[in-house]
Amino acid sequence: MLTFIGLGLYDERSVTVEGRDALRAADRVFAEFYTSRLVGASVAELESHHGVDIEVRDRAGVERDPETILEAAETDEVAFLTAGDTMISTTHVDLRVRAAERGVDTRVVHGVTAQSAASSLTGLQNYRFGKAVTLPFPYAHGADGVPASVVDGVEANRERGLHTLVYLDIKVAGSSPAGPQAGEDDEFMTADEAAGMLADDWDPDALGVVVARAGSPDPVVAADALSALADREFGGPLHTLVVPGDLHHLEAEALERLAGCPAALLPDE
Amino acid sequence: MGRRKKIVQECEKLMDSPEQIRNIAIAAHVDHGKTTLSDNLLAGAGMISDDTAGQQLAMDTEEDEQERGITIDAANVSMTHEYEGENHLINLIDTPGHVDFGGDVTRAMRAVDGALVVVDAVEGAMPQTETVLRQALREGVKPTLFINKVDRLINELQEGPEEMQQRLMDVIGDVNELIRGMTEEMEDIENDWRVSVDEGTVAFGSALYKWGVSIPSMEETGISFGDIIEMENNDQRQELHEQTPLSDVVLDMVAEHFPNPLQAQPFRVPRIWRGDDESDIAEDMRTVNKEGDIVFMATDIGMDPHAGEIVTGRVFSGTLKKGQELFVSGTAGKNRIQSVGIYMGGEREELDRGVPAGNIAAVTGLKDAIAGSTVSDVEMTPFESIEHISEPVITKSVEATNMDDLPKLIQTLQQVAKEDPTIRVEINEDTGEHLISGQGELHLEVITQRIRKNQGIPVTTGEPIVVFREQPQEASREVEGVSPNRHNKFYITVEPMAESIVDDIRLGEISMDMPELERREALQEAGMDKDTSQNVEHIHGTNILIDDTKGIQHLNETMELVIEGLEDALDDGPLAAEPVQGALLRLHDARLHEDTIHRGPAQVIPAVRDAVHRSLIDAEVRLLEPIQDVRIDVPNEYMGDASGEIQGRRGRVDDMYQEGDLMVIEGIAPVEEMIGFSSDIRSATEGRASWNTENAGFRVMADNLQREQIMDIRERKGMKLELPPSIDYI
Repeated sequence: MLTFIGLGLYDERSVTVEGRDALRAADRVFAEFYTSRLVGASVAELESHHGVDIEVRDRAGVERDPETILEAAETDEVAFLTAGDTMISTTHVDLRVRAAERGVDTRVVHGVTAQSAASSLTGLQNYRFGKAVTLPFPYAHGADGVPASVVDGVEANRERGLHTLVYLDIKVAGSSPAGPQAGEDDEFMTADEAAGMLADDWDPDALGVVVARAGSPDPVVAADALSALADREFGGPLHTLVVPGDLHHLEAEALERLAGCPAALLPDE
Repeated sequence: MGRRKKIVQECEKLMDSPEQIRNIAIAAHVDHGKTTLSDNLLAGAGMISDDTAGQQLAMDTEEDEQERGITIDAANVSMTHEYEGENHLINLIDTPGHVDFGGDVTRAMRAVDGALVVVDAVEGAMPQTETVLRQALREGVKPTLFINKVDRLINELQEGPEEMQQRLMDVIGDVNELIRGMTEEMEDIENDWRVSVDEGTVAFGSALYKWGVSIPSMEETGISFGDIIEMENNDQRQELHEQTPLSDVVLDMVAEHFPNPLQAQPFRVPRIWRGDDESDIAEDMRTVNKEGDIVFMATDIGMDPHAGEIVTGRVFSGTLKKGQELFVSGTAGKNRIQSVGIYMGGEREELDRGVPAGNIAAVTGLKDAIAGSTVSDVEMTPFESIEHISEPVITKSVEATNMDDLPKLIQTLQQVAKEDPTIRVEINEDTGEHLISGQGELHLEVITQRIRKNQGIPVTTGEPIVVFREQPQEASREVEGVSPNRHNKFYITVEPMAESIVDDIRLGEISMDMPELERREALQEAGMDKDTSQNVEHIHGTNILIDDTKGIQHLNETMELVIEGLEDALDDGPLAAEPVQGALLRLHDARLHEDTIHRGPAQVIPAVRDAVHRSLIDAEVRLLEPIQDVRIDVPNEYMGDASGEIQGRRGRVDDMYQEGDLMVIEGIAPVEEMIGFSSDIRSATEGRASWNTENAGFRVMADNLQREQIMDIRERKGMKLELPPSIDYI
């Protein structure tokens, strides 16, 4: 049995009770932290909190060589952990399909994701989001600035009046194709950096909403023009950014009251 | 005032009058006497002592050049010459003749308008003669001919006037046959460029004994061939030199028959530059406008222990001066010129007044320039890249003996690559050793020796290793490449590319640098069908990627990564990680993940790399090795031993014929087997053979040798010693 368990947003306590029980009951626990990670807890803290050993797999160890995981799951109770939800903004459906092809039973234990947090914290309604995009570090896609497909995504959503959730790139140390590099640190794109890129390459006056450290004890939500957000700082990771489309009247009120949005940027009532 | 200073002043006076300038190169087969001729010209101009001309080899400035008795780098000098009452400024480049240094010749031709081709009267036109002629004509450089070593016909071969005349006419006939063949299809060459004794574009003489004649000189001095034979026989060489000095005869020919920059640039610029011919800059270049925008083409990079890097090249327009800030093609930002000057013998003479259009200049401060860079004061279309036909065939590893020298070694190697674009330098990441690849054993030996001597870095070098290639032999089926996360798929085929297209890419006639429409036309002319030529996405080496997909969302953004994966796969082919050549790849379809992150480099590059390799294997990719044309001239009695030296090296003898009292053997042999040939042929023929080899591209190795050779390479590179099971055809 292979159980996919979402660890939720922030630390060792963000997992659901069902997830915690499944993870503690597993014979072997695998995890990957290259798509995202828990900022509030290290792997060691997770291990001691739950009383398990966690085998962290790098990208190649999940995508290219999933054999170890699948083989274990044929005979044992195996848990596979990721931050957030294992199936949202990841490609792990591939692993689940492979397991199914081998006749291994699978189960998904959901976790809270940035996607739902962005909606909950900002007051922007989940019904009114279009497709999400990821803003990559410029070096990661081999060009400068914002990739055309990101701008296209935001604009296509706005044409239909929809909000866009912009995931911000993270690069986990040791996950580059060339292997771990000396002196390498985790890198997280910050919301001010992202707002700056969009302001430069797209529209400095457009409204943006920053969600920082969702799921932590001190989350920050801030709405302002992209150019203004670019000049502010929002503290530690993780950050995401929402580019709103048309605002429902209660969404506008929420942004003003809960996210400090300047009234001038909101539609007149 | 010193003599040298006086010459500099004369040169300066003439620099502003393009009609009195001649930019010329001396080019020839190795040992036919280029450098000795250059010395004659220098002595004639009063730049070196008359007595030492012939022995001094003033233009062989590197110690190793004088030791080896051959010219290795192209060397430059300016001199003046009076002809028909008018003084002329002659900017001369002496070029190497040894086949290993052909890249230097090609670059020198870009700077000049006339090529003085030197041929040994006894040996006649040799393979390198053909090569240098081709290099000159391709650049639109007009040839004249000097037949050297005529004294040997008289003294050694004891030929009478008729025999001698017949021999000289044969040499001229051979050279003209080459010129005719090469210029036949050049539409922009309107006049007949064949050389002629009657017109005065051929001169004869002896660079060693410093005399020369031509039809115009005979008319002037009254000295005929009969007189020459008599004087040579009577040991009156000094008188012969005084009465009909070689330098006058040759420099008269240069002044009379080579075009000046005003005549040459309107014709040459369209050949080597693809910019807008209606633009101001085009007009400035055509008219050699010294007041115009600055256009300078770097043809050579050298090191001076005091001044640092010196860039030599041709000023096509404007005036180069100290302090100017100029663009260097292919790099961002500007370089500031620290000094500008001309060459006097081995030395530079700085000129504060600058160097105007039509001249060859020596410049410091252009730190970003490489041989081939276009340097200008406004941003412009760069000149066509200077293509050298031969690709590197031999590689050697170089390691610093002391680890402390490593940074300096890397810096030196980078410098070497900058100075000589026919050298490739790479770091082998697996073993940490540096590899330099070049045109032949001698080429690499000279380079490593210079690292040792000039830079004082002790290095150890590995055995020379031949460079191989991999090439598909038939069309593959469609192959699917899947990304590691299985969310992206690429559908690729490969087929062998037409030889004619490969050749054109190699010659630089087809490249991604040219405007799309022109490239399309050039491809169609070389035999590619219209639809395919419209979908060319990328050219890497001699391989082309065609994008046959239609309307796939996000593909444009992913293409950079597709190309990266493709280049990886082609640089390290599937058989032995040797470069792939002559492959036409088509991308037929692609399925992409919606989000940029999940179709990033970690996904796309391995997917494409894998698909390219598997398609190459399906196309029965095979290993190719470099081969050389071999020509051996040998007395009859050694013919068997000499041809045995070719046949014993997996070679093939194609032709054997009598020429004079020698037998000529022509054939081909693999470069790998030719390592050590010189000492073997010497002992096989007791030193009586002279030979010449020339790189002649790559050839598929016989099937029964493939596996063994592949495994040897894999072992050397530390790769797995088993091939994918799909490689079942060799």
